[in-house]
Amino acid sequence: MDIKKFIKSVKSTLGLKGFNQEGKKKSLKELLKKLNRRKKSVTELLKTSLDEKEEKELKEELEIVSLQIKKGKKILYKLYAKK
Amino acid sequence: MLRKIFLPTIMVILAYGFWISPDFKEISAGVAIFLFGMLSLEEGFKAFSGGILEKILQKSTDKLYKSISFGFVATAIMQSSSLVSVLTISFIGAGLIGLTQGIGIILGANIGTTTGAWLMAGFGLKVKISAYAMPMLIFGVILVFQKSKKLKGIGYILTGLGFLFLGIHYMKEGFEAFKATVDLSSFAVDGFKGLMIFIGIGILATIIMQSSHATIVLILAALAAGQISYENALALTIGANIGTTITAIIGSLSSNIDGKRLAGAHFIFNVVTAVIAVLLMNQIIYSVDIISDFFGIASDNHTLKLAVFDSLFKIMGVIIFIPFVDKLVNFLKSTLKEHGKKSEKSFDSAKYLNDSVLELPETAMAAITRETKHLYDNAFEIIAHGLNLKRHNIISSKDLDEVTHEPYSQSAIDIDDFYNRKIKGIYGEIIDFSTKAQSQMPPEYIVVLYNLKLANRDIVEAVKDTEHLQKNLIKYSTSSNEHIRGQYNAIRRDLADLLRSINIIGTTDEEDVIMVLLSKAKLHTERYDIIANGTLDNLIRNNLISNEMAISLMNDSNYAYGISKNLIAMAEIIFTDRSSEAESLSEEMAMTNSDIDSILKKGDK
Repeated sequence: MDIKKFIKSVKSTLGLKGFNQEGKKKSLKELLKKLNRRKKSVTELLKTSLDEKEEKELKEELEIVSLQIKKGKKILYKLYAKK
Repeated sequence: MLRKIFLPTIMVILAYGFWISPDFKEISAGVAIFLFGMLSLEEGFKAFSGGILEKILQKSTDKLYKSISFGFVATAIMQSSSLVSVLTISFIGAGLIGLTQGIGIILGANIGTTTGAWLMAGFGLKVKISAYAMPMLIFGVILVFQKSKKLKGIGYILTGLGFLFLGIHYMKEGFEAFKATVDLSSFAVDGFKGLMIFIGIGILATIIMQSSHATIVLILAALAAGQISYENALALTIGANIGTTITAIIGSLSSNIDGKRLAGAHFIFNVVTAVIAVLLMNQIIYSVDIISDFFGIASDNHTLKLAVFDSLFKIMGVIIFIPFVDKLVNFLKSTLKEHGKKSEKSFDSAKYLNDSVLELPETAMAAITRETKHLYDNAFEIIAHGLNLKRHNIISSKDLDEVTHEPYSQSAIDIDDFYNRKIKGIYGEIIDFSTKAQSQMPPEYIVVLYNLKLANRDIVEAVKDTEHLQKNLIKYSTSSNEHIRGQYNAIRRDLADLLRSINIIGTTDEEDVIMVLLSKAKLHTERYDIIANGTLDNLIRNNLISNEMAISLMNDSNYAYGISKNLIAMAEIIFTDRSSEAESLSEEMAMTNSDIDSILKKGDK
């Protein structure tokens, strides 16, 4: 048995096969949590009375955060699909 | 001059010794094989140090007791305080750990070396260890020829251990045979004079062999064969402890100032410990007897008692030094200073690039990353001056509209002069060092290194674009034409906003903050496309600015666009987490051009 096969079998025996992906999933979930919190706080702020400049900036941030959340969910979905 | 005479003299003395005594030849061969074994062992551990050692080191050196424990464990496993001290200097050189942590590791390494004496005295002299050497050498050499880095590493470790055991065997045999012809013990000198002479021999032997470990093993072999007295062996051990500091001093010559301070700390610690051991010699010997009795070591078992002595006086030294570590750090910082404190007008040079960090790819990479940040720091200063803004105002929480309206300087600063003094030299050093580091790096590091080189190029280009931008920026930001003034001040404000965002990105650990700020910066960069967004068209059509102003604005918006693009690309490389899964995540979630377009379109509606 060559060394690569050996490492592969040890990984599957110990259940470490998707170790990297698990780490990525965990980081992504954490990031999504933070982004969702941010989205919520920006949405709340937008409900208050703001000047035009502030409102424009917050709307822009909301767009960015929503886009990042969308992208993150897509990656997470792919990671689960792989499993 | 001395070095030129030293080596041939040693060679001649050795050759003469081999000619008159075959036993001396056998002992010397034993020492040579032992040293070769240590080199091989170091090579093996270096193969494994990539990643594991660095992670442990960074996590386990935040407190002094942890640093000491790390130094002890690492030295006990690797059986080489020299390797540990050289690696520590390399980590200090790369700025990964501070001087206090470094001193802690060195203190621990000193205790760690005593495990070698225990192994040799308790195991090496009693068991025929040469029987283990041959299989180790055979298996080791087979593994050394394998392609896999890890297998190669195991091969070097096995070969190293094999040679160590074989070396010990030859030393032991040599002294046994030597005993039959020459009685070295007749040269033993008693009293204080003998103590000083043998300390001197210990220092010299360790300087020549560059290993206190080898000296101690040699002392134990000679002591076991009855060729030296117990008291003389103790003096030789003290000498070996002073001589070993030479390795760190040589290693620090190519390091930065903190590396040199660490070698200084090592020297001070070992010399002071040696002086204390000499002054309290009788008390230590008495304590060794008590401890030996307690552990059931026979009173005539001098080899094990020497191991007790070695441990006792080194542990004693560490305990004495622990309360003074901070004072030692202050003393070294005030004594060993960097040459020529830089004045405002002086040329800046690389802070973290030195040959000592080339020991490991990780330390080399960390040093280049830090140096790139240093280069960016200088670039920040130049760009801020170029925009006629105060640096501290940019990084403050002041409203940027206010900041851009605050008058700073009436005259333009000489960016070319700043570039020559604060960018060009460092950039050159980084590129030169990267080329050197690249030749010693495994392929997986090359891509990261390439990206770092790109980040450096981005910084330099941003500075050059600032130089082009500056001329009109000064002219038009105070122009009587409010339209052109407004456009140029908007460029200043937007670039200041970008510098502020990068400053936050560089100082926060929150990934969402980094991600949003980078996305915003990318989005705002599109503002400079004044042809596409109709700004220029509007200004010309309504005769608000002259043709000359229009051309300047078009060119300068292009420069501002270049500065933004380059700084964002640089920030993505040096300020985002380049480790493991975080790196691929930030890459996958980064804003693409189509994302920017879609957000811009929504904003226009």
